Amino acid sequence: MNIDRRDFLHIAAALGIFGVSGLKASKRADDISAEDIMDFKETGKVTLLHICDLHAHLKPLYWREPSTLLSAPNLVGTPGFLCGKAFLEFYGIKPNTLEAYFDTYLNFESLAKKFGKMGGVAHMKTVIEEIRRERGKDNVLLLDSGDTWQGTAVALKTAGEAIVDAQNYLGVDVMVGHWEFTYGKERVMELLDKLNADFISQNIIDNDPFSDSFEEVVFPPYAIKEAGGAKIGIIGQSFPFTSTANPKRFTEGWSFGLRLDTLQGYVDELRKEKKVDCVVLLSHDGFSVDQEVARKVRGIDFILSGHTHDPGPRPVTINGTTIVIAGSHGKFVGRLDIDISKGKVRDFNYKLIPIASNLIKADKKGLELVDKWYRPYRKELNKVIGKTKGTLYKRDTFYSTFDALIGEAIRDKMDCEISFTPGYRWGTTLLPGDDILVDNVYEMTAITYADVYTFELKGARIAQLLEDIADNVFNPNPLYQQGGDMSRLVGVSYDIKISEKSGKRIKNLKINGKEIDLNRDYVVSAWGGNLQNAGKNLRENLIEPVYDVVTKYVEKKGKIDISNRSNVNVLDFDCGCPKKGGICE
Amino acid sequence: MRRRAFLKGIGAIGAVALLDIKVLAKDTKPKGKNAITFKKALEVITNGKGAKTSDKVKLIVPEIAENGAVVPVKVNVEEPIENVKSIHILATKNSNARCADVFLTPRNGRAYFATRIKLGQSQDVVAVAVLKDGSAIMASRPVKVTIGGCG
Repeated sequence: MNIDRRDFLHIAAALGIFGVSGLKASKRADDISAEDIMDFKETGKVTLLHICDLHAHLKPLYWREPSTLLSAPNLVGTPGFLCGKAFLEFYGIKPNTLEAYFDTYLNFESLAKKFGKMGGVAHMKTVIEEIRRERGKDNVLLLDSGDTWQGTAVALKTAGEAIVDAQNYLGVDVMVGHWEFTYGKERVMELLDKLNADFISQNIIDNDPFSDSFEEVVFPPYAIKEAGGAKIGIIGQSFPFTSTANPKRFTEGWSFGLRLDTLQGYVDELRKEKKVDCVVLLSHDGFSVDQEVARKVRGIDFILSGHTHDPGPRPVTINGTTIVIAGSHGKFVGRLDIDISKGKVRDFNYKLIPIASNLIKADKKGLELVDKWYRPYRKELNKVIGKTKGTLYKRDTFYSTFDALIGEAIRDKMDCEISFTPGYRWGTTLLPGDDILVDNVYEMTAITYADVYTFELKGARIAQLLEDIADNVFNPNPLYQQGGDMSRLVGVSYDIKISEKSGKRIKNLKINGKEIDLNRDYVVSAWGGNLQNAGKNLRENLIEPVYDVVTKYVEKKGKIDISNRSNVNVLDFDCGCPKKGGICE
Repeated sequence: MRRRAFLKGIGAIGAVALLDIKVLAKDTKPKGKNAITFKKALEVITNGKGAKTSDKVKLIVPEIAENGAVVPVKVNVEEPIENVKSIHILATKNSNARCADVFLTPRNGRAYFATRIKLGQSQDVVAVAVLKDGSAIMASRPVKVTIGGCG
């Protein structure tokens, strides 16, 4: 494909309502073309293109970044824990630009109207092919950090097949996984047969003592690829905590974990025995965990990270290892050009390319592919079931409006005192006044274990659970975090002191306005986790998939109006997006 | 409970002990005499001398346990086998902190031991190696036991 100037669209500065003072360029910040998007200083002969956390979004969508992203005080304001103004300031991005729209929640609604939707495989393809053309096909590798197969109705209904087809279309060369595994081991193996990419993981080990390959790696730990005349060793790191974050039954007999000791072993093997020129870790560890990996493991040139959905406009270099991460939901393609000579990395250049679907022409074959997979479900998924008054979004550390809607729907149906919704970071964003489609409900809930369970849980257990989850999110050591946000609760309010030590963070815990009774059993509904295993008196007649519960509720209500007010009061930070040192403006 | 102490207990009490075992099995937490604190265990193992933290003890445990009931632990002591008398694995917050005692001879080839231990809650796992001269070296790593649950 040869793309010329005419194929690129252009957004002129149509409106004068944005404050764009203080720009250094003569061009207005909101006047941007696809050429600006593609603008890049070529370096060396090798290009690694990186995608992560597509979450099965074949079509463009709106995706609003968090307005609250809190962590332990030592991590706040560092890459991986930046949002809003603190993000713009850290990366030197001007407000109201395309970058600001893609990277932060600020002015999201008005910028969404101006810049339009993000991502989509047909638009990603145009960018990827343009780079392949520019650099030469054999000099470019497309690497996928996983969380690709799950997240939409079309993925769930085709058990991942639609997405594998899209990966083959994009030309993914190597991938690792996380949510992929929630289709179950057998299905994963079937899909990998269809996938024209290497699936690698050094940290998935056969854990079945009766198996012939007990204690051996399940997948090849690494792949060696030739590109631009260099030998690139790519080690795979799938999500280390798959078996605790997702139901164990999907990966029975496989053991995960960070396994930094064997990782070091593979780095050394690639360098000393395989004589590669460059070592890359393709990872689903999460951005902050991978910064720790760079501190602990020697000899990795680049870590292409994923899992935590951070847009990382500028690479982070720690101990000679450079870490990049390319956001989520198909919003970006990361471009890493590497100059390699005499067996060493000499230089590199990186850009996070925003897939602004109004500026980049869609590839026709991609549109056909999307249409092919959606066609059988079009009628069901495009059904309008309601309208939202305010923005419905997912993300934020404690509370987001789409989760509040899900919690409300569950409470309405299950008549429970408390509802739990997991703190996943994938979903969608609907703008004020938007129709709510069945497809949107799936975008928030499409998992292979979607049942809502209603059961009883003792007050003391609830309190302990919340502390446990808080420690997964706020542990000062990234290696002990699992990379999600706090579970979303309806019917519960609490204060939290994030900097407090494990088990002591939550205070003033109230259930429906009353102080929690540690000895009483509460009726709890939960989905997307394993809480039901901790409870008793499961209401078997009430079990129902969460997407059905939410769809029926929205249909019943018609107009959806969700408050922006969080049920959680943070005691030790005054804003949602503090700078380093916890400073709020 | 150490295996030897357990067997001795049954022998002494005789038939009544069977009943006790049933009661014990029902109860998840061993009580009273079964409790061996970390401090006490370390004291016994090192003959009251304590152990010094050393890079020579390589302790490999998962950061977050996949299943608290079977947590894999690997210990490699980077010392000639002739120099290592025993390897001990301890869990600081288990009711019985003493998980495994392994006594080595030169015929073991190297001072390496791997097993699985049960952890009642998040805690530090400690590996102690007692050396030929009676001194002890150790390494400690935290392991988190959690219900899990993010995406």
